[in-house]
Amino acid sequence: MSTLALGFASFPLLLALIFARAPIGLAMFAVGAAGLTLATGSPAMVLARLKTESFSTFSSYSLAVIPMFLLMGQFATRGGMSRALFRAAGAWVGHWRGGLAMASVAASAGFGAICGSSLATAATMGQVALPELKRAGYTGGFSVATLAAGGTLGILIPPSVVLVIYAILTETNIARLFLAALLPGLLAAAGYGVVIALYVRRHPEAAGAPQPRGGRGRATLALWPVAAIFALVVGGIWGGWFTPTEGAAVGAAGTGLVAWAGGGLGRAGLVEALLETARASAMIFFILLGAALYNGFLAFARVPQELSAFVVGLGLGPFAVLGLILVFYLALGCVMDSLSMILLTIPIFWPLVAGLDFGLAGADTAVWFGVLVLIVVEVGLVTPPVGMNLFVICALDRETPASAAYGPVLWFVASDLARVLLLVAFPGIVLFLL
Amino acid sequence: MRGLAQGLALVGGAVLLALVAMVCASVAGNALARLGLAGFGPVRAGYELVELGVAFVVFAFLPLAQLDRAHATVEVFTARLPARANAALMRFWALGMAAAMVLIAWRLGAGTSAKARSGETTFLLAIPVWWAYAACTAAAAVAALVATWDALRARP
Amino acid sequence: RLHQFLPAQSFVPANILDPWADRIEADSGGRIKIERYPSMQLGGKPADLVDQLLDGVVDIIWTLPGYTPGRFPRSEAFELPFLVADAEGASRAFWEIAEAEMFTTDFKDMHILGTWVHGPGVIHSARPVLRLEDMAGLKLRAPSRITAQLLEGLGAVALGMAVPAVPEALAKGVIDGALLPWEVTSSIRAAELVHNHTEFPGRAVYVATFILAMNTGRYEGLPPDLRAIIDAASGAAFSANAGRLQQGADAPMRAEAVAAGNAVVVLSEAEAARWQAAAEPVVTQWLAEMAAVGIDGAGLLARVKAALAAHGA
Ligand code: NA
Ligand code: NA
Repeated sequence: MSTLALGFASFPLLLALIFARAPIGLAMFAVGAAGLTLATGSPAMVLARLKTESFSTFSSYSLAVIPMFLLMGQFATRGGMSRALFRAAGAWVGHWRGGLAMASVAASAGFGAICGSSLATAATMGQVALPELKRAGYTGGFSVATLAAGGTLGILIPPSVVLVIYAILTETNIARLFLAALLPGLLAAAGYGVVIALYVRRHPEAAGAPQPRGGRGRATLALWPVAAIFALVVGGIWGGWFTPTEGAAVGAAGTGLVAWAGGGLGRAGLVEALLETARASAMIFFILLGAALYNGFLAFARVPQELSAFVVGLGLGPFAVLGLILVFYLALGCVMDSLSMILLTIPIFWPLVAGLDFGLAGADTAVWFGVLVLIVVEVGLVTPPVGMNLFVICALDRETPASAAYGPVLWFVASDLARVLLLVAFPGIVLFLL
Repeated sequence: MRGLAQGLALVGGAVLLALVAMVCASVAGNALARLGLAGFGPVRAGYELVELGVAFVVFAFLPLAQLDRAHATVEVFTARLPARANAALMRFWALGMAAAMVLIAWRLGAGTSAKARSGETTFLLAIPVWWAYAACTAAAAVAALVATWDALRARP
Repeated sequence: RLHQFLPAQSFVPANILDPWADRIEADSGGRIKIERYPSMQLGGKPADLVDQLLDGVVDIIWTLPGYTPGRFPRSEAFELPFLVADAEGASRAFWEIAEAEMFTTDFKDMHILGTWVHGPGVIHSARPVLRLEDMAGLKLRAPSRITAQLLEGLGAVALGMAVPAVPEALAKGVIDGALLPWEVTSSIRAAELVHNHTEFPGRAVYVATFILAMNTGRYEGLPPDLRAIIDAASGAAFSANAGRLQQGADAPMRAEAVAAGNAVVVLSEAEAARWQAAAEPVVTQWLAEMAAVGIDGAGLLARVKAALAAHGA
């Protein structure tokens, strides 16, 4: 089998392993390792890469936010802070069916905007918000779908690391990209709000009964320690006072101290919080390691290059090519994280797209294509049956299988696809702020 | 085994808490320096320490995640299979995890000796990189041990 | 397989590495095929490139010796502060010294194809740096161990990282700025992320060294005629030309930043002299460190200076 055929065959194989209940990280690790071994004719390359790559994948300042934010989530939950947060949110929007879910989407978007990684966002929100949503009467599947979808919003809201990388790869102005992504980002949030409203109308049993109004003042007042910490973390990162990693550390320390002072975090509680952080962090990092190996194999097999050549060979019109590329990203999103997808494919697809005539100026095409790609890349992270965000959140909650979230998440995906079509048809939505 | 995995996870947790404290001290030092207080500043080479520390933290967390089967899986398509088939699948993947962990630990050990020979250090503190590799190798070896035990024990 | 860390369309890959590889492919009538993997596509971080080469994961790498501190102590001589004024001459000198005394020491495990340095280093920062005192507390990216020590000596907070990590770190506020030559700012769009640039008159505050290297076994496994084709495209002339091209790409990027309204400052001779004095301990410390690992740093530095003078750099 040629290297290229191996590259394409790896995809269904990976899905088959995952459906056969293989741990996701292990499936990617095994397919990547086997693919590289077959493609090079010997295991030497895999063995040599593993000498440094497991260490260098984990040894990352930016990824340090993941265990730190997870720890913060643990402290916030044990100290009753997430409950206070949701009680206050419930007091304000709980009388509205689906109100809490909408508040969670907003919180995910805000958190994702500062944290820069949809995986870390999904994990943190999954830990903080999932138990509270379920406590408020939401079904596990709908809660997971809401949080997974909410986690994808941050990428469009500056500061977005993935946007910066896209700008570099396509030589596009970063400030213009940030500006262009803003409106589609708000549109996405609004779309999710509509989806939640429609879904709970259709499935009233998915959301808890509306809560009585009242007690807003008291609930909000009880919130002040959490509010102070969140303001410090989010404000600090937005204002450039600290990096996301520093924000995560300050947040973990702050919630830890508040929980301890409130009596919610004794010695046993601290041990449990650390062990829970350990399980969740190891799960996420093992997926990242598997993804690194599998991505290396796809690059080695030159799958994106060949795909690009194949698409050019078809001689299709510009919009058909764009459509094919977007579908490809949706598929890739099943098994890759957003940053690796962008790094691997944009250098190959961008020249292809830049050569097509969409009736836009060159620089505008880059901005428009960037926003579209970012959206579909993130949609890929939540589309069933395979979506990294879904898996991560479900893995945090043993009672909810990923399949329970498939139905509700399709509603969110539908709103995403509607938005993509809208932006394809009317590039002006992306470009008009420029 | 549980004691070993939990103990190592707690060691990793302690390192994580130390990193959190170090980063907070750095933020505080920086804030004080901005207020114009002499003698304060961020922790020297905090960036390097986080990079080295978080790698060990993750490796130290791996055994517990394995023991408690915390790794993300998809159960949709296997839900209808008989219990025995599912048990066999889980045993098979536990063996796969064990093989992966053994492979990782073995290669990391090779990486450790390569880094020790090359003399590579960090940028500022000139900490030999192989020290961090060695600590991670030890943790990965425990992960390999725990994963193997987990795959072979009676209850899958 | 040629593996390196910058995107394919960046200056060095597009204008130095590609022409080099194209020439070898053409001269060998297609018997040598060089597959190019930019942006660390085959995995790992830039600091892993050297190990990937030694382990035969890839056949050729382009990297900075500075990314693996402690591994190439001798090449650090060229990165000492306020030493180099011209990249072409310095690249020629680097090849000369490397061929004479580093191929059998620092680089003994690999086959070196090219050694060069980039144009004068510039401080790119979020807030203006007009005087030495402005460096206090500034978090700056350093490309190597020596430059990290230099930044600390000047009062700044140094963070060692490879170029691809710089934009993310700037966007997240991990750093307030970076040490980079102008040319590299284009590949990471640094002038859009920070808007102040500080240059030095005369000798550069620093330059970083590059190596283009091949797996020794792979090179020696080639038939003599193919090795001769690679040799003809590589070596002293190639290195000097790489340095010249890279420094030549500085001016357009500088002009672009000026046109975008960024503040570009050239320090006065008197101010630069203060920086030079503040940087002196870096040299002293390097000499002491070399002595500790049994390298005659003073002798090496004297030969480097002589070679630089001989090539007008
Ligand atoms: Na963002
Ligand atoms: Na998907």
